[in-house]
Amino acid sequence: MAERVFAKWLRKAGFTEIAIAHEQWLGIDDLRHYPLFTAELLDLMRRAIAPERHHALARSLTFTARKP
Amino acid sequence: MSAVEHPVAPTTTDLLNQDAVHELVSDRYRGILGQASTVAPTLYSPEELAGMPEGAVSGALGVGNPVRFAGLRAGEVVLDLGSGAGLDTLLAARAVAPTGRAIGVDILPEMLERAATHARQAAIGNVEWLQGEIEDIPLPDASTDVVISNGVVNLSPRKSRVLFEAFRVLRRGGRVSIADIIVEQDLPPEVIVDPQAWAG
Repeated sequence: MAERVFAKWLRKAGFTEIAIAHEQWLGIDDLRHYPLFTAELLDLMRRAIAPERHHALARSLTFTARKP
Repeated sequence: MSAVEHPVAPTTTDLLNQDAVHELVSDRYRGILGQASTVAPTLYSPEELAGMPEGAVSGALGVGNPVRFAGLRAGEVVLDLGSGAGLDTLLAARAVAPTGRAIGVDILPEMLERAATHARQAAIGNVEWLQGEIEDIPLPDASTDVVISNGVVNLSPRKSRVLFEAFRVLRRGGRVSIADIIVEQDLPPEVIVDPQAWAG
C-alpha cells in the first residue's frame, strides 16, 4: 500500500484535513519485534531483498483526518 | 427468454480471494495468540505504558502510536479498529475517562477475551469489546467521535471499504488517527507470496 493511495482512499471516503502526523522507517531488523515475522521469513527477506533496502524496507505512517 | 430476463445467474464467486485473505490473516493471528511481541517499548513512552497490564504490552502488534496523535479529550467515544490485545483501546479509554469510553472491535473472539481480561487487570471500566469485521463495523452511523487503528487496515482485502466504514460511524467533526505500513517499492515475489508476509 502506497502513501498516495491511502491518502486518496481517505479523500474518497469523504475525509478532509488529511495529514501525516508521524513517520518512521522500518527495516528488516525492526520486524524481529513481531512474532508474525519468524526467523525463516526474516532470512528469506534478507536473501531476497537487496541489501541497500534492508534498513529502509517500509514506512510506518500515522494519518490523521477529519469528517467535515 | 424474454428481454427482461437476465441470461446469467448472479454469481457469488469471490474473484479477488478476499475471503481467503481474511481467513489467512485470522489464522495467522490466531496462531500467535500468547506469543510475546517486543515492539511496545519502541512505540510507547514509559509514561504511556505505566499501569498497562503485561499481557496488553507484550501482545501489542501495532506499527505506531495512534492514540498519541488523536488529540483525545474527556467525554469522547473512541473506536479502535482491530483492537487485538487491547493496548491502544485501553490507552484511549484512559484518555477519555471518566465520561468517555473506548470500543475495541476485532474479528477474533479469543483476542477480545484477552483484551477484556487486560481491561479488568488495569481496572479500566469505560471500555467495551465487539466482535466484528472492520469492513462492516457493528455500530450505527455517527456514533463515535474518534476512530483509531494500528497496523490493521493494511491487512484487509477491502482497505477502502474500511475507511468508508470509519467515515460512516464518525459524527460530523470526528477524527481518525490511523497508523499503518506503507511500502512504496515492490517486494520480491518470493516474499510477497509468503503467507507469513501477507499477514505481517
